[in-house]
Amino acid sequence: MEQFFQQLTNGLAVGSIYALIALGYTMVYGVLKLINFAHSDMFTLGAYLGLTLLTSLALTDHIGPLWGTVVLALMVMGLVAMVGALLDRVAYRPLRESPRLSAVVSALGASIFLQNTVMLIYGARYRVYPHDILPRVALDVFGLQIPLVRILILCASLTMMAMLYIFIQRTRIGTAIRAAAIDQGAARLMGIDVNRVILMVFLVGPALGGAAGLMVGLYYGQINFTMGWGYGLKAFTAAILGGIGNIPGAMLGGVLLGVVESLGAAYLSFAWKDAIAFCVLILILIVRPTGLLGERVAEKV
Amino acid sequence: MKRVILLCLALLLVQGTAFAADSIKIGLMGPITGPWASEGAEMKQVVQLLAEELNQKGGLLGKKVEVVTQDDGGDPRTAALAAQRLATQGVVAVIGTYGSAVTEATQNIYGEAKIIQIANGSTAIRLSEKGLKYFFRTCPRDDEQAKVAAQAIQKMGSKRIAILHDNSTYAKGLADETRGLLEAAKAGEIVFFDALTPKEQDYTTVLTKMKSVQPDIVFFTGYYGEAGLLLKQAKQMNWKVTFMGGDATNNPDIVKTAGKDAAAGFYFVSAPLPKDLPSDEARNFLDTFKKKYGNPPNSIYAALAGDGFRVITQAIAETKSTDPAKLADYLHKDLKDFPGLTGKISFNEKGDRVGEVYRVYRVNDEGQFILQP
Repeated sequence: MEQFFQQLTNGLAVGSIYALIALGYTMVYGVLKLINFAHSDMFTLGAYLGLTLLTSLALTDHIGPLWGTVVLALMVMGLVAMVGALLDRVAYRPLRESPRLSAVVSALGASIFLQNTVMLIYGARYRVYPHDILPRVALDVFGLQIPLVRILILCASLTMMAMLYIFIQRTRIGTAIRAAAIDQGAARLMGIDVNRVILMVFLVGPALGGAAGLMVGLYYGQINFTMGWGYGLKAFTAAILGGIGNIPGAMLGGVLLGVVESLGAAYLSFAWKDAIAFCVLILILIVRPTGLLGERVAEKV
Repeated sequence: MKRVILLCLALLLVQGTAFAADSIKIGLMGPITGPWASEGAEMKQVVQLLAEELNQKGGLLGKKVEVVTQDDGGDPRTAALAAQRLATQGVVAVIGTYGSAVTEATQNIYGEAKIIQIANGSTAIRLSEKGLKYFFRTCPRDDEQAKVAAQAIQKMGSKRIAILHDNSTYAKGLADETRGLLEAAKAGEIVFFDALTPKEQDYTTVLTKMKSVQPDIVFFTGYYGEAGLLLKQAKQMNWKVTFMGGDATNNPDIVKTAGKDAAAGFYFVSAPLPKDLPSDEARNFLDTFKKKYGNPPNSIYAALAGDGFRVITQAIAETKSTDPAKLADYLHKDLKDFPGLTGKISFNEKGDRVGEVYRVYRVNDEGQFILQP
């Protein structure tokens, strides 16, 4: 039983990262019906920018580990958001009126471009975050050993997801995003500047992806220019699992995928971990082709 | 005007081919990009440095040696294309490559083109069991490594053994071999045998599971990136168990990833590190390498690629020929105890390197790799 709960917390930690990245896929898909393959590289970029800022500014030395990390996260999110907006401007906006397939190809190209840019700038070797940034303490919760950082990561991602949810549901621009997701033409007729909405989506999604990259860097410590691929694939799966285009669905899908993976691996086989996760995906899609929360079309974002 | 340009181009072409005929081309196929790009970069540095040295001494058979590099991306499909390109570029032999699965994708292409291939890091057993006349390798095979690993595990007196691989050709082969040897020797109980997914960052799931079966030793046959994370995360879980790795964990980056405190006490089986190479050839070479690139080579596979280059140039010099059949014959039969960078080199009839190469290393508290007696 103890092992079950330990594996559950393992799954939750990974799942919350999947969920954060999945939000970026699902938001772009909701508004543009485009699978933004370059999103996984926003994640990688976040991890690398975090490393650069961390080592060059030494923020955590000046204002303490907690605030240092918060400021660092904001800076990384801001920078990655700018890259995201640039990506839209360069790779997607010129293709807005073209068939969707062209945009998908452009997305793949952008992904390869970004990945190799990171490799050329930072090199192909593994890069490692400094070890002493966050306290390496494990909390003893009912006999389970849970590293403190893991709890912080879970809390941080939940907070960000909650903020995103409020932003989408309660603000004017959030309403505009929802409107554009339902029907771009009608939204435009209502006086909504759809290009601004899309820009907003490309600021928020990459910012969350970048934050996830930073968290992975801070917690696991090891980053590589290909790291986005695996996480991106899983996050994309999570977005589909929850119903692509649906924000709560992406969160649910991410956490669920993480938990299914770790429990499936622990009780069946590790070598078949991904196979188990994808079998679950297929089973769910057979029963609910639109994903777990995918039917509420009106709330698509 | 057009005609003049055409004429110039034609002249250039003629000159180009004439110039090419004055050199002996040796191919280098390595992972210049992709997940193992750091290995590929060093392979290229080593081979190019050796070629420069050779050319300064007058080259081979009165001709310059030219190294033609193609990137295999650490990926079988890219490698097949790279091999086809090299086959059309008139190379006599090809050095490379690192990954077994990658090499496997290119073996037939070189075989059909009658180009000698000398792999430097591909340790999977079956590569040399196909009866290929032109395939050689300077690295030992996995069964050799498994033997040394199984001996080391027995010597440590481990009774409960966990074996973890990553489902790659190499890691699974090594894991299977070691399991077979341990079972045959009745040396202990294999309490865990499974694979992790490489390139993931979170291995707490598999660690939690292994911890619950309480092994004395965990033998991980995968690569250094994952090994570093395993060590770090085991430490975070407060799990104190002896970890041992295969030769793919032999890379200083493992200490950087895990941190010195978590990496301390990690054992791994490997061909000797560049710094522990005993011969004078090796020491001289390490000095020149350091002078040229600022740091000594990190990877033994780069040195093994260098040995590939040195044996093939030796064969060309001795046979005074670039005929692949003659060269292969020479390498199979006549090359005996050639003083390589990584020790004495001879090949058997399968093209495998003869002799024991593997050693056991331990990481000390400073994160240095110490050769175990």
